[in-house]
Amino acid sequence: MINVENLIVRFDSAEVLQSVNLDIPEGTWSCLVGPNGAGKTTLLRTLLGMQPYSGSIKYNGREIAKNKSLNIAFVPQRPSIPAAMSVAEYVMLGRAKLDGWGKESAHSRNIVHEMLEATQLLGMQSQLVNTLSGGEMQRVLIARALVQEPEVMLLDEPTSALDLHHQISVLNKVEEIKATGVTIISTMHDITLGAMYAERIIIMQSGRVLLDGESQSVIHSPELRSAFDDRISVHLLENGRPVIIAAKRELTL
Amino acid sequence: MFKRFFRSTAFLVIALLLAPLSPVNAANTATKYPLVISSGGYSTTIAKKPTRIISLSPSATESLFEIGAGKQVLAVDSLSNFPKSAPITQLSAFEPNVEAIAALKPDLVVLSVDAMKSLVVKEALEKLKISVLMEKAPENLAQAYKGIEVLGAVTDRTSAAKNVTFKMAALIKSILNRAKVSGKVTFFHELDNTLYSVTSDTFIGKVYKDFGLINIADKAAGADSYGYPQLSAEYVLKADPDIIFLADAEYGESPATVKARAGWSGITAVTKKNVFALPNDIPSRWGPRLVDFYRTVATSLAKVKK
Amino acid sequence: MKKNQIDRVWRWQITASAAAALLIACLLGVGFGPVDLNFGSIIRTLLGLPNGLENEDRTLLLELRLPRVVLGALVGAALATSGAVYQSVFRNPLADPYLLGVASGAGLGATIAITNGGGDLHAFLPIFAFVGGVLAVAATFLVAGRLFADPSTLLLAGIAVGSFATAFQTYLQQRNSAALRPVYSWILGELTVANWDVVKWAGFYIFIALFVLIRISKVLDALMLSDEEAYSLGVSPQKIRMIAVAAATLATATAVSASGLIGFVGIVVPHLVRGLTKRATNRSLLSIAFVGAAFLVIADLGARTLLSPAELPIGVITAFVGAPFFLFVLRARNRGSQ
Repeated sequence: MINVENLIVRFDSAEVLQSVNLDIPEGTWSCLVGPNGAGKTTLLRTLLGMQPYSGSIKYNGREIAKNKSLNIAFVPQRPSIPAAMSVAEYVMLGRAKLDGWGKESAHSRNIVHEMLEATQLLGMQSQLVNTLSGGEMQRVLIARALVQEPEVMLLDEPTSALDLHHQISVLNKVEEIKATGVTIISTMHDITLGAMYAERIIIMQSGRVLLDGESQSVIHSPELRSAFDDRISVHLLENGRPVIIAAKRELTL
Repeated sequence: MFKRFFRSTAFLVIALLLAPLSPVNAANTATKYPLVISSGGYSTTIAKKPTRIISLSPSATESLFEIGAGKQVLAVDSLSNFPKSAPITQLSAFEPNVEAIAALKPDLVVLSVDAMKSLVVKEALEKLKISVLMEKAPENLAQAYKGIEVLGAVTDRTSAAKNVTFKMAALIKSILNRAKVSGKVTFFHELDNTLYSVTSDTFIGKVYKDFGLINIADKAAGADSYGYPQLSAEYVLKADPDIIFLADAEYGESPATVKARAGWSGITAVTKKNVFALPNDIPSRWGPRLVDFYRTVATSLAKVKK
Repeated sequence: MKKNQIDRVWRWQITASAAAALLIACLLGVGFGPVDLNFGSIIRTLLGLPNGLENEDRTLLLELRLPRVVLGALVGAALATSGAVYQSVFRNPLADPYLLGVASGAGLGATIAITNGGGDLHAFLPIFAFVGGVLAVAATFLVAGRLFADPSTLLLAGIAVGSFATAFQTYLQQRNSAALRPVYSWILGELTVANWDVVKWAGFYIFIALFVLIRISKVLDALMLSDEEAYSLGVSPQKIRMIAVAAATLATATAVSASGLIGFVGIVVPHLVRGLTKRATNRSLLSIAFVGAAFLVIADLGARTLLSPAELPIGVITAFVGAPFFLFVLRARNRGSQ
């Protein structure tokens, strides 16, 4: 269980996150949505423990600053692509959390093998990461996060650079991971996709959480529309699935 | 004019005849070894008469051969191109390779203070039991003579060295007497085509000063602390020297190239055809060929058209 | 055995080979020179066995050749390791150890020493060069704004500080023409007449720096990842960057003040080791240090024997090897990204 209480984050003198309160149950998938600049990525980085903050963030009752053993994986929006590193080498770095740096036990190599297989990257293990396509790199990032055997996985815009086909396969993979008990928190531009996969949606605007609750109810809430200045409209498909699209306001004459 | 010529020649002949009778020869001038001698600001101990000398200074090479110590010279550096009989090698005067020097098994090395890490080289050679004589570029004639005499003492050619310096002094004096300049004559000594020059504080500058010539670079002395300011073309044009001496003839400069420079054709030295290319090396050798430098300047002055 | 088994990222055998290469290079370095010494006698002298070299030959080996080889190894290791570290920190395969203004700062320090020093300036020059190098890097951090500034800001600040130092140095040289030759010689880099004093102080600082760098070499791999990923693995990327840059700067400033500016070692050797082992991990740092040492010892051997009795500036040799190597690296990169 992740408890966030009265979280405030400042950059210079501006309050980028204003008094955020959240409770995220274990093993669920929460999706942060909101316009650009809402503070989604900042919240994600703060949950990782990278960002100085005031207030409290507790994982299972313990403040993250005091909890060095926490195993949180982060899948960034834009990867840093090292020159001349192979896929296997890159993914192996993820084992540093559990094994320490520079060690590669036979067990670790097995895990890497397993995760590369799970993400369909095994055949490419010797390929250099700077030769990969966007979709392939995304899978590498996820594989690297997986070998860490994390309790929590934070994903920043995991689908924004991918084509439609890969968007679905990546999200399906994340769903599989969630099924093993990992708590997932992701930020997503595409609210439709978010609603399809995440159980909980957290709406943010200008550093505040407007609403946070079950996807199905949050989707239809007025808070969602106001977060986007009423420039979205929510429709239901025949099978009951919601689709959220950008909508131009009709001119009233 | 004829009278002047006769007078100075007579003086010269008498001086040369009297040389062997100079007081120096009265005493026993053989060098006593071990010899402790100060040179270039450092003290050197020479155990016995050196017979395997390596000279890493072109000027020292010339002096050594002139004073008759050539048989004692084992090798000279790559720039020591005079006399032709000197055993020239690829050894570098400015970046001495200690091991290469040691490989030739010398008993004395003459090393310039300006060489790279000269002190470290000196220490290293002395550790290998090779004596090192440090040499500093002289600032005036007296120091140049002293340098030759030091070489004489070191090689047990003291009286020969004294003769050489005596002769040099006499010759220079006679050259100066014949070539004294009247009135204000200005000159520009060009080191290279980016117009580096020498002030009267430098050795070369003093030679010109001896002739009574006025150096246009003196006013620019503040530009460089060693006496080698770089002048601008505008400055030279404005100073309008009567004579130009080219020390960069070996790099392609000549009276023709100087004339072709933009704006230079109007300079007095160029219009009056008083641009003289100095022979290579002569201005930078402070051994016995100093006399040649004086002679060259004198010859040029004789050609100067008013 | 599983099909498609994951390769080990690093093997101790690689490091051992690099160490062996260094040993061979050192043996070649002490064995050859303008003076011909019996190789067997050399070995016996070094091992302290009887029937070694005597008198002047012994002095030549122990006071001239040996310190020079040792200094070459130290400087080569320092430059290669710093270069590799800078390449990781700045995520730029063309980064070299002189990036943050160390070279220009040291050059300025050396020029100040040469133009103002009295007689014994060879004693002062290394101190001036060292201080100059360190101050330049400090200035770079100041100019960049915050101590933990991001890599590209640091790079730009380094260029600015370096340009300023070079301009000042050029001005000093213009006003002190007699200094031109010694400064130019120094810039080309030289191990000429190294002695045990230089080896002692250079060795002291370089050992400290290399010790730190090799200790953190494994963690440096975190810098290959994005900052968030590094953090998630328990590493503060800013802290690691700072320590790495500080240690690498110490190594470079010491190397430069001992032997002038020797180029290309810092770029060529890391790529050589990474290319041969096909690994990008920073666990290669110790091997890079060994190979860098061997590289410079061999280059110095060339410097003092190829044109004997003249000495080739060692920077010329490293450039001759380095420049075509650069082209090779560029071509390989282009082919890789196609």
